[in-house]
Amino acid sequence: MNICGILVHTQPNNFDAVRERLLSVQGVEVHGMSKEGRVVITLEEDNEDQMAESLHEVQRLEGVIAASMIYHHKEDENQAISQETVQ
Amino acid sequence: MKQTRREFIKNNAIAATAAAAGITIPGVKEAVAAEGDDGIRWDKAACRYCGTGCSVLMGVKDGKVVASQGDPDAPVNRGLNCIKGYFLPKILYGKDRLTQPLLRKKDGKYDKNGDFTPVSWEEAFQTMADKWIEARKKGPKGVGMFGSGQWTVWEGYAAQKLLKAGFRSNSLEPNARHCMASAVGAFMRGFGIDEPMGCYDDLEHADAFVLWGANMAEMHPILWSRLTDTRLTKKGCEVHVMSTFEHRSFELSDNDLIFEPQTDLAIANYIANYIIQNKAYNKDFLGKHVNFTQTATDIGYGLRASDPREKAAKNRNSGKLTKISFEEYAKSVEPYTLEYTSKLSKVPKKNLERLAKVYADPNKKVTSYWTMGMNQHTRGVWVNGLVYNIHLLMGKISEPGNSPFSLTGQPSACGTAREVGTFTHRLPADLVVKKDAHCKFAEKTWQIPAGTIPRANGKMDDKDQTDISGKPMGKTLIHAVAMHRALKDSKMNTFWVMCNNNLQAAANFNDESLPGWRNPDNFITVSDPYPTVSAMGADLVLPTAMWIEKEGAYGNAERRTQFWRQQVAAPGEAKSDLWQVMEFSKYVKTDDVWDAALLEANPDYKGKTLFDVLYANGVVNKFPVEQVTDDRGNKYDNDEAKDFGFYAQKGLFEEYRLFNSAEGIPKKGHEMAEFGAYHKARGIRWPVIDGKETLWRFREGYDPHVAKGEGVKFYGKPDGKANIISAPYEPAAEVPDKEYPLWLSTGRVLEHWHSGSMTMRVPELRKAVPDALCYMHPKDARKLRLRDGAKVKVVSRRGEIETRVETRGRNKPPQGLVYVPWFDAARLINKVTLDQTDPLSKETDYKKCAVKVVKA
Repeated sequence: MNICGILVHTQPNNFDAVRERLLSVQGVEVHGMSKEGRVVITLEEDNEDQMAESLHEVQRLEGVIAASMIYHHKEDENQAISQETVQ
Repeated sequence: MKQTRREFIKNNAIAATAAAAGITIPGVKEAVAAEGDDGIRWDKAACRYCGTGCSVLMGVKDGKVVASQGDPDAPVNRGLNCIKGYFLPKILYGKDRLTQPLLRKKDGKYDKNGDFTPVSWEEAFQTMADKWIEARKKGPKGVGMFGSGQWTVWEGYAAQKLLKAGFRSNSLEPNARHCMASAVGAFMRGFGIDEPMGCYDDLEHADAFVLWGANMAEMHPILWSRLTDTRLTKKGCEVHVMSTFEHRSFELSDNDLIFEPQTDLAIANYIANYIIQNKAYNKDFLGKHVNFTQTATDIGYGLRASDPREKAAKNRNSGKLTKISFEEYAKSVEPYTLEYTSKLSKVPKKNLERLAKVYADPNKKVTSYWTMGMNQHTRGVWVNGLVYNIHLLMGKISEPGNSPFSLTGQPSACGTAREVGTFTHRLPADLVVKKDAHCKFAEKTWQIPAGTIPRANGKMDDKDQTDISGKPMGKTLIHAVAMHRALKDSKMNTFWVMCNNNLQAAANFNDESLPGWRNPDNFITVSDPYPTVSAMGADLVLPTAMWIEKEGAYGNAERRTQFWRQQVAAPGEAKSDLWQVMEFSKYVKTDDVWDAALLEANPDYKGKTLFDVLYANGVVNKFPVEQVTDDRGNKYDNDEAKDFGFYAQKGLFEEYRLFNSAEGIPKKGHEMAEFGAYHKARGIRWPVIDGKETLWRFREGYDPHVAKGEGVKFYGKPDGKANIISAPYEPAAEVPDKEYPLWLSTGRVLEHWHSGSMTMRVPELRKAVPDALCYMHPKDARKLRLRDGAKVKVVSRRGEIETRVETRGRNKPPQGLVYVPWFDAARLINKVTLDQTDPLSKETDYKKCAVKVVKA
């Protein structure tokens, strides 16, 4: 399991186009956006190479002014108790 | 509600990101990095990479870093982290970490041409000490050390003592010489005290931002995020981007200014001229707080004295300032008309004028940012000063949003190199070895005999200081570029490079650096976590415990001092730079390096090791070993304390505070809090008075050093006034001509930090940007019949490299200029660059030289 929370800055009037571009990147989900152009996305990608690639891709997308990593969690496969239930 | 673990983690990621964005997302609760779940211990650390000084939370499990998060409580980054932050944990775990000292040996003995052979620390240090003692006999410049703006505060401080007080040598320089020296020079000339008057809070207060060459989007991404936020949320906010080529920061630009290299000098003078012509200047402010001066002109380019360009210079290396009147100053900028400046710089008139207007508008708060583009400049001190001139003319300084701000590239270029003063001419807290009184104060504080520290001119009380050889010390200063020349010329014979990749970083690799390092007379030691270009060029390689493998402290660009605890253990026998400096001092005695008369006069110091004198002095070793514990009860190791038997970091820091915070110190304004306070805070910005930090210096109400009723006081200068310093446009040392028709500029890319010795270890980063490309305008490429991706040689008068052409990349040079990043050890662009320096700051100019590009 390898998950990142990323904050993306974009021009608000550009949001729809940028959203489409973001969604074209492997592993990206868009969760919300503020009226000022701050977009909350996650990147979920167990393959580390792909993760790095997606991370770079997000940054280079047209209309993305800045992309900041907020949160990163990685668990090794052997301990990836991904179906474990927590409260 | 039940959720899977994956959902839980993802929710955490969304919650943390939403919190940073300032929005709420339905159904997502705040549940960030709760300690206790999954056995991860979270603790703060200052990021290892750039000068921004972000705080990151490092999650450690079973002695290994497994997770990281932007620190939500950090005032600098407010929970944000840049892409390099994602890879932070990985820099510790590169496959080729060095774990043992390696000495070049043949037939069991040290041999300059031998192979790297694992040796014990004892053998390493004994071999090194023999070489150092021998080399020191030549004079104070016989030995040399090249440290770092990535050293922790106490590492720099310990090294400062080792060289200046121990070896009685001023041959200590940091790599910050290559990035910050011009900024320092301008601060001292303009304000008499180093480092920015403003702080990052200006990012929210300013109405307009001006980037002087800085590509903040890639080099300071977190500050860029904050700037972006202000631009998008504040009405009327605008961003002006100046550069010699188009880069990512132009995405947010309201006013693009692509200028011809070196003409920033003219542009700054044009703005000043515009302000004066339109009578926009702040007369009251100028009358009360500013002096006008003229700097000496035609000062050469810091090349070897034999170079024809140096012979032609009228006032070679002169930084002389002459007092002038406002009218004389106004006259000096008069030639910089819109017409002339536009023609010279190739920036369209309307763009220049728009820029000038924003500075000249009394109702617009303007913050200017710059970094290497202005510092790595043969007129670096001048051009830094020219930007201060603009802010001073308008009185737009030292208050929220009005801020000329020199950014830093390294995490502790400010905290260590500049504040501790690990330059050849400096001592802690802005003191200098040029001043007898400053040296005497340092000697008293360090409890060493008066006259131990070599003065710049080798004279104490106007009498010659005697060296170990019995001869006078002579002149003792030697700057970074001169060190490589001295190595090549066999004048310096031992060189210790720590915490940086100097062989790759220094200019003129072919003609100066490499021949100096491989000179058979010399013994080169490199301390590094990884086998860098420098390590491979050395004779002895020492494995280093890095970053959070030790307790540390950094100082960032806004005067913020930040501490962290040791989070994990270093691999194998790797040891921190602090341990290495202190342990090495046990192998050298005062009798080996101090002159007989000095010891005769001070017999208590005879027969002592440098360790005894410098670190077992009752102050540095004052604090006993203690269990380091955070406020949540988590426990941390401190390997250095364990080894030395005292809390070395605390002792060194408290002794350092005697320079900046004690009663009766020579220079006020650098006050710091006591050691323990920093472990509790997310950094504190100096001056710290009565436990309170200072956000804007020199202004009443913000800075406690400015008394009620004084308004503004530039107290670094004796009369409390700042200097406006007139300096003209002068051409670059080497400009494109028929044979070498293109400008070459070098720099960094987002994914790699500096020379890539850390980031190139991370496979994902390497993959993203594996090779340094030659960025070129499509028309220039077409002229040379080069397709995108074609193999080319970039050739200068000094050397050449092979690479590929990129015409559609994120860096878009104008016609006539190519850009090559310098992180790539396989393509050392510094084979091509010229070792020109600013004659005042001695900082190298990597941004301009003439090249040709040919098919490979």
